[in-house]
Amino acid sequence: MLIQVLVSGVAIGCIYALIALALVLVFKATDVVNFAQGEMAMVSAFAGLSLLTAGKLPLLAVLLLAFPIGALLGALTERIAIRPLLGAPPLNALIVTIGLWMIFHYGAGWIWGFDAFTFPSLLPQAPIEIAGALVSPSNLAIAGVSVLVLVGLYVFLEHTRQGTAMRAASMNPQAARLMGVSVGRVSLLSWAIAGGIGAVAGVLIAPLTFIDVNMMFLVLLKALAGAVLGGFTSLPGAVLGGVLVGVVESLTSVYVSSAFDDAIAFVVIVAVLMVRPEGLLGKPSVKKV
Amino acid sequence: MSVYRLLQTLAAVVAIIALPWLGGSYVDFILCTIAAYFIVALALNILVAQAGQVSIGHAAFWALGAYGSAILVTKVGFPFLLGVIAGGVIAGLFGLLVAIPALRVQGHYLAIATLAFALVIEQVLHEWEGLTGGRTGMFVPRPSFFGAELLADQYYYYVIVAVGALFAWAAHNLKRFPSGRALMALRLSPTAAQCCGISRSRSLITAFVLSAFLTGISGALYAHLVGYLSVSTFTLTASLSFLTMIVIGGLGRLSGAVLGAAFLALAPELMRDMGEAQMVVYGVILVVVMLTLPGGLASLPERVASLFARPQPRPVPAGTPAAGKEA
Repeated sequence: MLIQVLVSGVAIGCIYALIALALVLVFKATDVVNFAQGEMAMVSAFAGLSLLTAGKLPLLAVLLLAFPIGALLGALTERIAIRPLLGAPPLNALIVTIGLWMIFHYGAGWIWGFDAFTFPSLLPQAPIEIAGALVSPSNLAIAGVSVLVLVGLYVFLEHTRQGTAMRAASMNPQAARLMGVSVGRVSLLSWAIAGGIGAVAGVLIAPLTFIDVNMMFLVLLKALAGAVLGGFTSLPGAVLGGVLVGVVESLTSVYVSSAFDDAIAFVVIVAVLMVRPEGLLGKPSVKKV
Repeated sequence: MSVYRLLQTLAAVVAIIALPWLGGSYVDFILCTIAAYFIVALALNILVAQAGQVSIGHAAFWALGAYGSAILVTKVGFPFLLGVIAGGVIAGLFGLLVAIPALRVQGHYLAIATLAFALVIEQVLHEWEGLTGGRTGMFVPRPSFFGAELLADQYYYYVIVAVGALFAWAAHNLKRFPSGRALMALRLSPTAAQCCGISRSRSLITAFVLSAFLTGISGALYAHLVGYLSVSTFTLTASLSFLTMIVIGGLGRLSGAVLGAAFLALAPELMRDMGEAQMVVYGVILVVVMLTLPGGLASLPERVASLFARPQPRPVPAGTPAAGKEA
């Protein structure tokens, strides 16, 4: 029983981790906490559903197209709404992303309606037995795809020119710019990659939860919590934080109370932050006076 | 200049007094809502603009004031005024609770802590059916003074405005008191302020408690205005709307608080005919205002004036932390 709970916790945690990763990527590049990240993923998932039903594309093609669709949406958003904000107070950027949240949320409702749709799953959800524990193949697929995305991101950041430029710009924008790194392009790339990763998370969770305009609301909050838990500036921290939030949530909903599982996850996070204010993998920035 | 200023203030006062006589009872209700939001804007400005802390959980304090007053008046038999004050005090006490993590964590971490607090309060209000009515909600009696019930919003409006004016005056004067100056110093340079002997923890606790108290009072006044409370009024969306209100209006300014409150209350009313496009347009307005008017709606006159004036260095927008207008 415990193993099943843990596996489903890790699977949902992977979804949180992907969105948390997108949040941290954007934050490192542009100092913006993107409240609209979840809604962008939802819009991408809906676009995928349209390709599936109206476009008659095979499911595998839609899943592969999720990343480019999300990346396109992220890049467009950056060019239209975020780039002109460069240098504005962070609070203004936060309000812009709240505005984007509304545009995507209600825009999606306007286009696709507020009903819930089913999204087909590539793998069966009925559990199979692996080493004595019942595990659903779709949960395994979620974890597998998440690992693939992480490896891809790691290779991109560590072993390509653009990835190096992105890391440099987030460490020290001034110095990076002096070395010829285009900070604007880094911002665009970060939003595009974040949008793509979010879209992957969207199509991964869609078969589990149905697809409707509210599907990403709680996911975003949990991802935000995961990102904060991990330290908000650390990519591995975001992944670790997201997975932990998923596990804590699934443990509390089974062993404590399902009425309060959403709130309890947050209380745990606040408790952790009281002990480690900089997050699990963040660098301490507190100055002692 | 001072004569001009005096005329301006006089015109504003006359307008505020005359407003409820210009429209029907529906207009009066909207005006009352604006006045209640205005108090929240004042409260949130103490925290965000003066103390430099972000809260995305203020709807919880609003809810605590609203439910606190409503429960005390209906179930314990408190008179209206005492209920409202008690609602503020309850919210203030919870402000003390939220200030505790704020002493350890800052920035995004604090924002998550306030969010967690708001989610817990929302859940508790939802589950504790015996006290709050839970999903079905609860009815709240109309405001009454010494047994006489105040029936028309037209008159209740003056009550809320009077409370708002009192708080606006107090919040403005906070900047002149040591605790207000301590907050300002802490925001501008936490290290320097603490080196001068300012206690960060004491100042932050003061800011949180004051902000929560004012928000609670507003919530209590609002509860008696609408006459019916349901948990869906006090969700994260409300918290985010409050934050949006003070930034769109103009951070740290009295005119900004008024304009932001008016925007939050009027925008949905004015856009009612747009149907499904309504919230999309609202989102577009948020984005466009932030991109074109970083100082909020209150900075519009300055922006217009600067278009016609000779080119000169642009003034620092009111929203930036370093814009010490008090200096």
